[in-house]
Amino acid sequence: MSNNRVSRRQFLNYTLTGVGGFMAAGILMPMVRFAIDPALQTKAEGDFVQTSQKVADITEEPVKVDFSYEQVDAWYTSEVTDTAWVYKSGDSIVALSPVCKHLGCTVNWNSDTEHPNQFFCACHGGRYEKTGKNVPGTPPLGPLDAYEVSEKDGFLLLGKKIANNLA
Amino acid sequence: MFFNGNDVQQFQTQKDFIDTALVPLLFLEFDDARIRQSSSATDFLMSLTAFVEQQFKGRLMLVPPFSYTNQTKDGLAVNLLKEELQSTGFKYVIFITTDHTWTSHSEQLDVIWLPPIPLESMDKGVKKTVLEEQLKQIIPVLTSKWY
Repeated sequence: MSNNRVSRRQFLNYTLTGVGGFMAAGILMPMVRFAIDPALQTKAEGDFVQTSQKVADITEEPVKVDFSYEQVDAWYTSEVTDTAWVYKSGDSIVALSPVCKHLGCTVNWNSDTEHPNQFFCACHGGRYEKTGKNVPGTPPLGPLDAYEVSEKDGFLLLGKKIANNLA
Repeated sequence: MFFNGNDVQQFQTQKDFIDTALVPLLFLEFDDARIRQSSSATDFLMSLTAFVEQQFKGRLMLVPPFSYTNQTKDGLAVNLLKEELQSTGFKYVIFITTDHTWTSHSEQLDVIWLPPIPLESMDKGVKKTVLEEQLKQIIPVLTSKWY
């Protein structure tokens, strides 16, 4: 028998705080978990897509590089193949999206004999300089988009599409 | 452009630029002897036209395919279809098919006829090269109309 006996009041206080605490925790924990969930989410492994293009083989002349990734459209998963025009500019690698900024046709390098060394859109005669800058007076209103570029084991990786901010 | 809500909305504002309709004509055969070839040719034509659409998105609209069988072929009023598309604002209406009987209509209609290539046994890379080769056959036909 201990000397400080627990009174009925004390006993009820302890048990109610205990049980109440558990209940509060039970309600609050999921709420907190949901609130911070986005921060805990692991990023899907990189946003870069591997291509079969060796970085060492890239020259000053733009080449077409195909790359494919999976795209989920509601319940339908499909493999999408995209292309980029890749070339070396000084030490850096430039990868341009082939999608014309006019109405979305596919542009080709050097395909117009009258205007060599330009990207040419066969749909409405849109032209871009090698940097991707649109030639004034042709239909496109902006420069070609570029891709983020990276390298892994000597192969080229392509990342997100970024808007080109050529003046 | 595809025939879907978003693309058609864009088409309506850009009618000056999107002046070509590409209409696939699909010949379906269901008897045991022919169903395989027919389905394979369908697959080929659908893949190819989707690829053409990707290349020329801003200039042509890929209309949903018009399908017919031996029995229903006579009900397909292609001339009326052409007129209707023209009155919508398409300057050029081009039909594309793997059925060679359409080549006899080539005086009144612009028909691109292609021999079907079975794609089902090919892996992705080969398929892509084959379609690119076929596209090269189609580009001159389109550009000769445009320029």
